[in-house]
Amino acid sequence: MEPWVILAGYAFSLMKFQSYDSQRGQAGLGEEKMEHREQSFTSSAAKQLALYAFYTMVALAVIMYMLSIAAGRTGSTASGVAVDPDNNSITIALRQEPPQLDHVRATDSSSIIVLSHSMEGLIAYNDAGSLIPGMAERWEIREDGATFWIREEARWSDGVPVTAHDFVFSWRRAVDPATAAEYSFILYPIVNAEEINQGNLPPQTLGVRAVNDRVLEVDFNQPTPYFDKLVAFITYFPTREDFFNNTEGRYGADADMMLANGPYIVTEWTHSASMTWEKNPYYWNDEKGFLDTINVGYITEDVNAKLNLFKDGQISDTHLVAPMLGSAMEQRWQIDRSMDGTVFFLQLNFREDRITANKNFRKALQYAQDPVEFVYKALKEPSYLPAVSLFPYWIRGVDDSFRKEYPPPEHEFNVAKAREHLELARQELGIEEFPPLVILADDSPIGSISSEYYQATFTKNLGLEIRIDKQIFKQRLAKMTAGDFDIVVSGWGPDYDDALTFGDLFASWNLNNRGRYASEAMDEQIRIAQSELDPLRRMEAFAEIQRIVHEDVVMIPMYERGWSFVVDPRLKGFKRRAVGPEVDYNFAYIETGEE
Amino acid sequence: MTDIHVSDFRPLQRRSDVHGISRPSLSYWEDAWIRLKANKRAIVSLYLVVALLFFTLLGPLIWTVDPGLQDLDQISQPPGTDRSAEIVADYIAWDGVDPSAGSGARVIDVPTTQVVRLKWDSLPGANGHRVYRNLFPVGNEFAYGIPVGEYFDNAIDFHEDRLDLKPGRYFYSIVALAADGSVTQTYQTVEVDVVRVTTLSEAREQGLIQTDSDLQIGDSINLSAHPLGTDYLGRDMLSRLMAGAQVSLSIGIGAPLFFVFFGVVFGSVAGFIGGKVDQFMMRFADFVVALPFLLFMILFKIAFGIGPGESGIMPMLIALVLLMWPATARLVRGQILQIREQAYVQASQLLGAKTNYLIFRHMLPNTLGVVLVTLTFEIPKAIFVEAFLSFIGMGVAPPTPSWGSMSNEGIKTMLTTPHELIFPAVFISITVLAFNLLGDGLRDALDARMRNQE
Repeated sequence: MEPWVILAGYAFSLMKFQSYDSQRGQAGLGEEKMEHREQSFTSSAAKQLALYAFYTMVALAVIMYMLSIAAGRTGSTASGVAVDPDNNSITIALRQEPPQLDHVRATDSSSIIVLSHSMEGLIAYNDAGSLIPGMAERWEIREDGATFWIREEARWSDGVPVTAHDFVFSWRRAVDPATAAEYSFILYPIVNAEEINQGNLPPQTLGVRAVNDRVLEVDFNQPTPYFDKLVAFITYFPTREDFFNNTEGRYGADADMMLANGPYIVTEWTHSASMTWEKNPYYWNDEKGFLDTINVGYITEDVNAKLNLFKDGQISDTHLVAPMLGSAMEQRWQIDRSMDGTVFFLQLNFREDRITANKNFRKALQYAQDPVEFVYKALKEPSYLPAVSLFPYWIRGVDDSFRKEYPPPEHEFNVAKAREHLELARQELGIEEFPPLVILADDSPIGSISSEYYQATFTKNLGLEIRIDKQIFKQRLAKMTAGDFDIVVSGWGPDYDDALTFGDLFASWNLNNRGRYASEAMDEQIRIAQSELDPLRRMEAFAEIQRIVHEDVVMIPMYERGWSFVVDPRLKGFKRRAVGPEVDYNFAYIETGEE
Repeated sequence: MTDIHVSDFRPLQRRSDVHGISRPSLSYWEDAWIRLKANKRAIVSLYLVVALLFFTLLGPLIWTVDPGLQDLDQISQPPGTDRSAEIVADYIAWDGVDPSAGSGARVIDVPTTQVVRLKWDSLPGANGHRVYRNLFPVGNEFAYGIPVGEYFDNAIDFHEDRLDLKPGRYFYSIVALAADGSVTQTYQTVEVDVVRVTTLSEAREQGLIQTDSDLQIGDSINLSAHPLGTDYLGRDMLSRLMAGAQVSLSIGIGAPLFFVFFGVVFGSVAGFIGGKVDQFMMRFADFVVALPFLLFMILFKIAFGIGPGESGIMPMLIALVLLMWPATARLVRGQILQIREQAYVQASQLLGAKTNYLIFRHMLPNTLGVVLVTLTFEIPKAIFVEAFLSFIGMGVAPPTPSWGSMSNEGIKTMLTTPHELIFPAVFISITVLAFNLLGDGLRDALDARMRNQE
């Protein structure tokens, strides 16, 4: 039985014991006397009970106080302080334990964070988020392929030079069906990559070769103007063959099963508890990696726990959620904000048996809701922006931001129009009443608010019956893939810094297009966006995609996620990124008072 | 010696008042009621239970607010908040034009809970501006508050804040951004007193005014009343608690009624027949005890084809009825076994009483006390189970509330708006306590062995 039942049972048994006593006390007494006796007994028993309760409370308070002192002591000795200028080290918290740290198979944000500190691709990001040379000192991207010249001082953390062969080995492994890398599709611009991944060709036929140790040649299927942005992604990082073979299939499973070529080395990894990253002495770039040690002292998803750790000076930074902002203002912290890069939207199911496959019905849904009200009134997160398009506001266009160059079609919140479209849909479908719709959502606080808000909105404005299906993240993905939904609250985050990372989401061949949207016009524009070399025509294709998404109601935008966060004022150069690692300590340094 | 007269040996005259009874005869129930009345705890609990039934059954007739209606003007409002509001026009987007052509950081129009419009002149050396909102003055720490807007572009010199505005004082700061986008210490602050407003269309939607009302923009009206405040989506707590009570109590009282009845039948049959049948039946009861409740609840949910977003109340009820009866059955069987051997039953049998008469006259009435007590103890248990399952999301489907699911929602904002957790939690606690104390009092009152102690 659950502990609370036992506790409650215990409390009641105490009371019962008391009442037995009171009964026994009555035996053999005159009525009046007995009544008096009972009253005095009850009151004294109550006093006794109150006293016990008081003692218990006091004892509990003392124990809790002692425990908090003890916890504080062990905490500070075990993991050090948030920012330690003497040892030039900081302590941070990760949200989740990385499942493993093989960059080819990694998909989750925690793994991306760790790998972005311990490894570096041919091209890297600078502190402002623009592309800079990484392992490659220069490169050339042509219509039919690309060449990368690897820098001489590029070294692995054991001192061995990084060569073009390491990239060839890594990329072959990424498309090898035996590796089963989820991100293998990101290499598809390379000749034969898709064929190899489907098992039709051997990995050796991949269109990449090492001309010599320092020159890497890549052949493209079709022109890929954004290839420089792709190679900054973790799947394109190098793997050294002899080291990989020595790990006997455990590559990336432990600290000693990894080889670094980035600013930091993962030197210790106590699974589910902590990690230590130390400065890589062989790393070439002296504009990255200023700290000697980064301790990942905590791995927790609990934002409240992280807030307390930050308050106690145990971790250097944490993000805040809306209910915490009041107390953060009281603490007089300097609150910062950043965009997370992810756009959230209601994805609709286009499979034929679904009501949402009807365009007028989708139009009705679109007109019946207002993301502005949702973000400002229901979510109340100051760093979130009401979404207006598939492309978030930070996506770059030709010269300026994409949003400025190609403003998205304006959304109109209009219940009357929504009802007209609903009526049209009813006639087209030839039904009297709409069957209940299922909104699939994550089992998280935001997921609950989102699904319940849209449930009430669609019920109020359209009179639809909406059912909510809350699932844990993995189960939601599984149900999305199976098409087991009408509407799903989902998000899409960028893999690389190019509009295409969002633009090809609704391609008929994209497996992440889980609503199975398929249209000729959309596919055509995506093909242009994938292979067009002229930036202007490419951006026009994205603008057309943006228009189709709105016009055809492929999805209903909800919000662009952001973060409100606080950082220890002594730590400078810390970044939260939209593309790349969510938190970036590569450029972080401790500001000492003397300077 | 006195003379003995023959008349002294006459029988006395028959008198009818010889066996006169000074007090009226008390039936079992009358006696129990008297003793229950003497137990203050039990009586208070009884009142509480009755009040709770009124709250559940009659409450929604009096307080007719829809528990699913979202009042987005009053989100997470604690009880007793001032609710007078001014009526303003519907929101129209602003293009950043300042009709008064003022200078410095300033507020355009009247700042309201609908929108606060800020305009500023570009700060010296700025590469863009960030707009912060604070509840406190900025002070020496440069604690600007929460960033509500960011423009990395000097051409934009206005911001509309519509984020969760509450009536009261805010300190807005316009902060200059450095070339790399970081925050500098150059800023201007403007103090803003926000007034609560609503729009005509919103007021109509909430049913605050009639469609033909002649209320004008600028008039003052009271927003809809929420005696116990609202939850995180602006839904009325009182009506949600009532709706939640219907779910919680229907499970809490319905399920025990069924399974206690079944337990009584099962237990009395086993106890009365005895022997091998009894052995067999009680081992079956043991087997049922060993079945895990949660697993069965999930299995029933699947077996019944309860899809996502549909209420899980039916499978919960069935799982409760099918799995929780053995406790009652054992208790009743024990009682029956005991009563069967009592002298008065044997006497009755010798006098030729039939089985039916024995069961209905002697057995069942004598177990009724035990049964009633079990029932009152099973009710809080069932309420707890319902609350627990709804808390973990296995029970009711949103937007239907139950006390458990309301607690689950309230716990997320426990520190900022505690009323969202406290009310459902208090209702669960009071209900469970009342039923337990009542059960306690009933057990004492119905115990026949204590009958003559007074």
